[in-house]
Amino acid sequence: MIALENIELRQGSFELSDLSLELASGEYGVLMGRSGCGKTTLLEAVCGLRNIAGGRIILGGRDVTQLPPAERGVGYVPQDRALFPTMLVREQLAFALVLRALGQAEIAGRVDELAELLGITGLLDRTPDKLSGGEAQRVALGRALAHAPAVLCLDEPLAALDEELHGEMCRLLERVHRETGVTILHITHSPSEARRLAGCHFRLADGKVTRDENRSCA
Amino acid sequence: MSAPSPSGYHVASDKPFLVGLGVLGGSYLLIIAAMVLADLVFLDYGDKPVLGNELVSHGKYAGEYEKGVPIAVEPGRAYHFRAGKNEIGLRSAGRLITHNGLFNADASEVVLLPREPGAPITASLQPEARVAGITITNKVVNGVTHRLARITTDVPHRLLWKEFIRLSGTGQSGWSGVHEITDTDKNVITIAAPTDTVPAPLQLSKPNPLVQALRSRDIRFSIKLSLISCTLTTLLSLWVAVPIGYMMSRFKFRGKPVIDTLLDIPIVLPPLVVGLSLLILFRYMPEWLSDAVVYKWPAVVLAQFMVACAFAVRTMRVTFDQIPQRFEQVALTLGCNRRQAFWRVIMPQARGGLLAAGTLAWARALGEFGPILVFAGATRQKTEVLPTSAFLELQAGRTEGMLAVSLIMIGAAVVVFIIARTLGMKRIFA
Repeated sequence: MIALENIELRQGSFELSDLSLELASGEYGVLMGRSGCGKTTLLEAVCGLRNIAGGRIILGGRDVTQLPPAERGVGYVPQDRALFPTMLVREQLAFALVLRALGQAEIAGRVDELAELLGITGLLDRTPDKLSGGEAQRVALGRALAHAPAVLCLDEPLAALDEELHGEMCRLLERVHRETGVTILHITHSPSEARRLAGCHFRLADGKVTRDENRSCA
Repeated sequence: MSAPSPSGYHVASDKPFLVGLGVLGGSYLLIIAAMVLADLVFLDYGDKPVLGNELVSHGKYAGEYEKGVPIAVEPGRAYHFRAGKNEIGLRSAGRLITHNGLFNADASEVVLLPREPGAPITASLQPEARVAGITITNKVVNGVTHRLARITTDVPHRLLWKEFIRLSGTGQSGWSGVHEITDTDKNVITIAAPTDTVPAPLQLSKPNPLVQALRSRDIRFSIKLSLISCTLTTLLSLWVAVPIGYMMSRFKFRGKPVIDTLLDIPIVLPPLVVGLSLLILFRYMPEWLSDAVVYKWPAVVLAQFMVACAFAVRTMRVTFDQIPQRFEQVALTLGCNRRQAFWRVIMPQARGGLLAAGTLAWARALGEFGPILVFAGATRQKTEVLPTSAFLELQAGRTEGMLAVSLIMIGAAVVVFIIARTLGMKRIFA
């Protein structure tokens, strides 16, 4: 689950205060808002990449407000994906597992499992510069899911893809959600994209997060 | 007034602009290439004869010398002639000699022929020195016996102690080849004798300056010191430049503009002043430290480091600036701490920049002269690096020696750049 309680964010002259959001365990949350309204900043705060001036962040029942990003149990897929240019796809997927000092066999098993889930088995020995936009997005997802985080944060995962790939990626995200049971927070600026996605919908506007009561979260 | 029709609109051709770029860029590249080429071409790579004293005296082609200046020579002996800008050539018993180089005298007199009367004499005529005799002596110094060969020449040879000489025409191993002159007198050269028996015919020549330079113990030492000190400086510079570059690129802190300015000081300061400042700084250091550094080899490394490191820091900072912070952020969420994110994600991407910084630091260090001269001195076989050698050669009046040292530096720089390039390429093609 994700619970944000009275979050206060400051970045230069930009300020957000008293933000609250609650997402139950295993739910798919979509946070909408115009460009520049602070969505990415909020997501970074959830991941621990940005200090918050006040409030509490609770992930999976733990208060993580004071924890470094590494200990929060989050998977983060930034808008530009930021695949590590010097690593093979296989190494990217294994990155979080190598850090956790897992055995080689275990890592290989997990990498194969992820590759199958995301349909990137054939890409494992490529470098990121040899991937298309959709492929890179899948790899970034796989990398973020490798350590089985409780929460997956997606920053505009469909923005850089062409229309054709949108539907495919939406189905993939739903499948990932179904099969891993991870709590997802997906942010987007596009209402039409949001409409396609199931789950709970939130709107960040005028410094407030409101829940779209017209939709059920199921 | 009607507006110009769209079809009437023409944009000027890009050609002048592109040609301009080409000409400006090309001329710069041409100057660089010509500069290096001039060094390579200027050196005379062949051996030179050993020459005696100048026979031509100063004066003018005037009065009784209006038609030419007679010079007494020895028939049959080889002389080296070089015409100046005021001479047609040399008349030797009816033969006209115009080319520069050795010729054999035909009679007991040659005549320098002027281009026009009244002009100053500018030619040069020197006899070739030949071996007149060799004696082998044993000299005992501190209980060690040295076998020495004293080579007597028929005319004064004008060679100096520590110069090199090539013996040829012996056909006997040991004697043929380049030897260091250990002692000289007006007509005598002493070298270490290779064997007890003296080979019958022997010819003397001066080996080319590059051979002389590479054989010289001083210059060998300076090559060694340069290579070691530059490498040490490069490693030190990278060791410092990586953390500073990363810090300046990633973190905001109080006093950052001040530090930024400080980092640039070695770049803008005249190099000589850097050396002087170091010298003065070490007056305030404890005695043992200043004794160990000043005018010793550590001073060479420190002087090189002060300047080279500033360039390495610049390069590393730009390198890190070009790597988006996102990579670290993702690495942090995946379970890295800052140190792990730096070593696992950022440094592998910074390898090209690291290589560039290293090469730049190495090349800067190789060329450093002013600060070393002031801070480490120019003591032969002690703090002599290649630029110091070039300077000392020039001071001793051996332009060719200086050029030879310059060529060694060019060679070293080219080799390092090729190594860096190949390593860089490997990264790209891997």
